[in-house]
Amino acid sequence: MDLQVTTDESGGRPVSVLAVSGEVDHATFQAIIDRARALYAEGARRLVIDLSGVTYLGSSGLVALHSAALIFAGLEPPDPEAGWSAFHGMRDDSEAGATENVRLLSPSPRAASVLERTGMRTLFEVFDDRAAAVASF
Amino acid sequence: MPTLRIDATSENLAAVRRFVREAAADAGAAGDAIDDLVQAVDEAVTNVVVHGYGSAGGSVEVEVGQRGEALLIRIVDDAPAFDPTAVPEPDLASPLRQRRLGGMGVHLVRGLCDEVRYRQDGNGRNELTLIKRTSTKVEEEPWISR
Repeated sequence: MDLQVTTDESGGRPVSVLAVSGEVDHATFQAIIDRARALYAEGARRLVIDLSGVTYLGSSGLVALHSAALIFAGLEPPDPEAGWSAFHGMRDDSEAGATENVRLLSPSPRAASVLERTGMRTLFEVFDDRAAAVASF
Repeated sequence: MPTLRIDATSENLAAVRRFVREAAADAGAAGDAIDDLVQAVDEAVTNVVVHGYGSAGGSVEVEVGQRGEALLIRIVDDAPAFDPTAVPEPDLASPLRQRRLGGMGVHLVRGLCDEVRYRQDGNGRNELTLIKRTSTKVEEEPWISR
């Protein structure tokens, strides 16, 4: 898996674009969370995750997308290494804003299939056009 | 039949996927069926790595076979008994912050395969069998026992 970060200011406000390529599985997903956390710590507040180069997206990758959304909502996600059951204990009745600062861009067919099968597709705004994704915030 | 025995670690998941992809292709499976099987096995073995063995570690065996027009993949491990077929389905309509992501792997395994069977073998090992129909006609090879 490879991660590339660029900053796009074409929409007037800075948007971080995190391009994920290769295979996202349990061996690699943590790097996405770490990068999202680092970007947020550096002051980034809007994130586009480009999934066009993803050749494999396991459920661990869904945890990474979920965690990135929570980080950019100003929340600290549970540590996946402490056990995924930690996610079961999350308590927050407010759905509003949970993904408002994160967009998904051009999921590869395989990634799109996994997002669809798990119901994750409906939780994110998904764009096929980078400029439109960047301008959507 | 092709068999892979490997340490149950996250770092070995890529090798598991590569093994299943090649074995399924050699068995004549089509592209979509191969992708589905690769993902189902990855999710199942990930569960063995994360939930089964945890920090204790262990090994896992993946065996690819055929029966009629179906591919059967048997995953055997020595972790504490765990029946993924008994895990409740996740609530896919729940809000993101309440989402139970831990069950997503099992949900994918079920959705990607035509049948999923679990039993403990004669040695008390977990044996998970994933069955995926393919469009390719293959020679009858009823190697699996129940």
